[in-house]
Amino acid sequence: MATESVSDDGADESGRAGLKANTKWFVLSYPLFWLTAIFLVPLAMLVVFSFWINIPGGQYELGFTLENYVRFLTSTLYLGQLWLTIELSLVTAILSLLLGYPIAYYLARMDRPWLRSLLLLTIISSLWVTYVIRAYAWQVILASGGILSSFGVAVGILAEPRSFYPGYWGLVVGMVYVFLPFMILTLYSSIRNIDDELLEASKNLGAGPARTFRKVTYPLSKNGIASGTALVFILALGSYVLPRLLGSSAERTLPVLIEQQIMSESNYPFGAAMSIGLIVVVLAFLWVMIRVTNVTTGSLSGSDEIATDGGPDVAGSVGSSSSGVGTRVRSTVADAASSVGLTRAVSGIGAAVDSVVTTVDSTTRESIIWVTFRAYVTAAMAFIAVPLAIIVAVSFTPEEFLTFPPGGFSFRWYVAFFTDASWMVALANSLGIALAAAILSTTIGGGLAFALDRFDYRWETIYGTLGVLPILVPPVIIGVAFLVFFLEVGLAGSRTAIIVAHGIFYAPFPFILVSQGLREIDRTYEEAAMNLGASPVRTIRTITYPLLRANVISGALFAFILSLNEYIIAWLLSLFLVETIPIQIFNQLRYSYPPTIAAASVVFIGLTVVVMTAIDRLSGGIWE
Amino acid sequence: MSNISLEGVTKRYPGGVLAVDGVDIDIESGEFVTLVGPSGCGKTTTLRMIAGFETPTDGEVAIGDNDVTDAPPYERDTGMVFQDFALFPHMTIRENVAYGMEASGEYTDEEIDARVAEMLELVELPGVADRTPDQLSGGQQQRIALARALAPKPKALLLDEPLASLDKKLREQMQVELRRIQEEIGITTVFVTHNQEEALTMSDRLAVMNDGRFEQIGPPEEVYDDPDSRFVADFLGTANIFDGVIASAEDGYATVDCDDVTIRSTNPAGIDPRTDVSVVARPERFRFEGASTDGGAATSETATLSDSINAFDGTITFKRHLGSSVEFRLETDGGRELVVVRRSGLDEHAPGDRTTVTIDPEDCRLVEA
Repeated sequence: MATESVSDDGADESGRAGLKANTKWFVLSYPLFWLTAIFLVPLAMLVVFSFWINIPGGQYELGFTLENYVRFLTSTLYLGQLWLTIELSLVTAILSLLLGYPIAYYLARMDRPWLRSLLLLTIISSLWVTYVIRAYAWQVILASGGILSSFGVAVGILAEPRSFYPGYWGLVVGMVYVFLPFMILTLYSSIRNIDDELLEASKNLGAGPARTFRKVTYPLSKNGIASGTALVFILALGSYVLPRLLGSSAERTLPVLIEQQIMSESNYPFGAAMSIGLIVVVLAFLWVMIRVTNVTTGSLSGSDEIATDGGPDVAGSVGSSSSGVGTRVRSTVADAASSVGLTRAVSGIGAAVDSVVTTVDSTTRESIIWVTFRAYVTAAMAFIAVPLAIIVAVSFTPEEFLTFPPGGFSFRWYVAFFTDASWMVALANSLGIALAAAILSTTIGGGLAFALDRFDYRWETIYGTLGVLPILVPPVIIGVAFLVFFLEVGLAGSRTAIIVAHGIFYAPFPFILVSQGLREIDRTYEEAAMNLGASPVRTIRTITYPLLRANVISGALFAFILSLNEYIIAWLLSLFLVETIPIQIFNQLRYSYPPTIAAASVVFIGLTVVVMTAIDRLSGGIWE
Repeated sequence: MSNISLEGVTKRYPGGVLAVDGVDIDIESGEFVTLVGPSGCGKTTTLRMIAGFETPTDGEVAIGDNDVTDAPPYERDTGMVFQDFALFPHMTIRENVAYGMEASGEYTDEEIDARVAEMLELVELPGVADRTPDQLSGGQQQRIALARALAPKPKALLLDEPLASLDKKLREQMQVELRRIQEEIGITTVFVTHNQEEALTMSDRLAVMNDGRFEQIGPPEEVYDDPDSRFVADFLGTANIFDGVIASAEDGYATVDCDDVTIRSTNPAGIDPRTDVSVVARPERFRFEGASTDGGAATSETATLSDSINAFDGTITFKRHLGSSVEFRLETDGGRELVVVRRSGLDEHAPGDRTTVTIDPEDCRLVEA
């Protein structure tokens, strides 16, 4: 009897389980198709290509050779540029951290919500404007006839106009400008997550602001520091536009060299080998970061020794391996190579502040801190906001050439922009590609998020990693991999190729947002609906989707705006046949500086801000 | 309205955890049955198997004449009130209450409007139809959740700790209210709670669950007065429990040897000597030596009887007023702590007093250990 009922139930279970299994693989198959067949395959092809034999003149031959790697790893030129790339990225990450932390802290702790929203929106908006326009803004500032130089001459610091770019420090300024917002936002959310009551408890126990910061705020924001630093470092490593537009020939970073091999030399195997090299650097860094972050997490529970033990270790390895090139800032960099190493630096500053301010009474002390803070944050916000403001200003110049301040006011360059057929084609291309890519991204990312949230899969973590992997690969490599792939398929140089590449590259945004939305939906809402007689489809339509809508649409808008602003992937896949606004601006920057660029940029910035505001409205302040 | 029956219902999770271990119960039409037990005892899983959110690994669930063991939740016609109410945040109260009727497709718009109004009337919140859930207080949300569950005229009402998130005063008010509405509609109801007081005050019958099994099913007074097991006695209300071995048993009584004392108890089941047992003595069944009984003055006869049987000498260590009654804690000379509850105003003992408490063998219950 007992066995009978067991077997009965067993059969029943497997029947229903079978149905469920079908649904679950059906749901997963769509995102998995794109992320493996159209994403992993090109990356795999890149690996294969890196072993093929190059025939000068744009041909290559199927075969197996290590020559490409040997060339890459033995040439002092390429190795030197590899170290330079790493060094630049580290400098950018560390400067961003030092500059960004106080801003993030101020934003998280300030008590005027409207001002906070305004500042955050400013930071976020500048974040999404294409690197091309932002690099261009710094050219305007740093050029010999530019703002900085004119100002220097006017004040008398400079004897004659000079250019601050192309060059190392000009490039660093541009990189920090571009990546600082990422750092601020990461730190902001981690500081904001610290419960106010913890700070009140600390103060209640007699700790002053500096001590509270050192003992409570700073340790609790360590993870934010680690992820912000990692994020900026990885983004900087893959950056192509800034080194290309703000660096001199000495600052050709790995992405620049890769693009040159592909687009100028047509040496695909060697370009592929260097791409693999860049990926290895990213992966190695991530590996170190994860290990160090684990140690840091351990130190949260009280054992500071472990954390400081890990610091010199990491710093040492980076420091010793960068011998030769990175002499400029190497020692500083090595000391602060990881967030863990920074522990001491920050505590040191905290202690210094503490000793200075304990001589004053507490009210004065707090107000001094806040006044200093405000002055600093104002300066930093200016650093973030002014370059784009300058672009806006120069776009209204009535003159033939870019000048600042503009010698008048005119819409002539806007008229020129909107009446120029090639700009209009580029604009139409940009919008069309971004729209299609956003839809593709959202279906891939949203589909994967839904599948992983609703069903159990054996290799769930792998699928989840696959969902965020595209964005971790430097865009220049995505571009090269897809170029190689689409050349084989025969779609290179088409809008379709760019749409697919953008769609996959930005799928992590909808994936992350939709996953987060699904996690936040209380499952009992769906259970309640089903209990009231709603079928699964009706439940999704009337409960799940409405609760998820803001996340889905924000994800789509993110993908849209990022695709709109993407340069390097589109450029590599365009094969000179497709023009988008960023490509058009970039090309014009190489040869001349017609103020049309500024007008085009302003139109583009306007578009970006509109979409960002829409996202913000939709999500009821997603930035909180 | 329909009856609900569970037959050998078992839930084993992947990984082998046995959440529910072959439970049987027949819940009559219109009956209010409470599943009560400590957290993790399987009561919520049992309820979720009735609702269809979990599928039993073994056994059968029937609602009315239908075997619904494998039916999906939306084909079961049960109305559930969730612990945190689960009112859809993106809908108005009207839309929430109408949701089930709209999903069924069996109602016209006019019928739905009328029914929504009727339901809001029933839960005494007629004016809130156009508000959203976050504009309501916890108690109001509770009522709306009930209205929403009842609106599509379900066969059974399932309540998953619906009062747990309310404060004490509101909870007591809702206990009465819930029972009133349930009786008014006459709907078969399964109520899950970990709160033994709620279980005792609200149910027609209660099923005490432990480790995935029903320890005892019965009306509240029966389960309270006549627990089947040490667990039930201990879980429901306060109990003084004497663990020991039966020394002798005759004529429906037994004498039980504990480490410190010997206690005499009724033994209706005729448990044999040398069996390990527990004697359950409720605090309100004790009285102080020489004090008046609830009815009047103690006779000299009972006083002498108490002298020899079930009398415990000790010192009062603690006293607190519970309103209509007083609770004493007494440490016996054998080192055992006894809880004694007496009506207010009957005794004038204070902490530190030496005293003797007694209990009639008739008031003691014997359960096998």
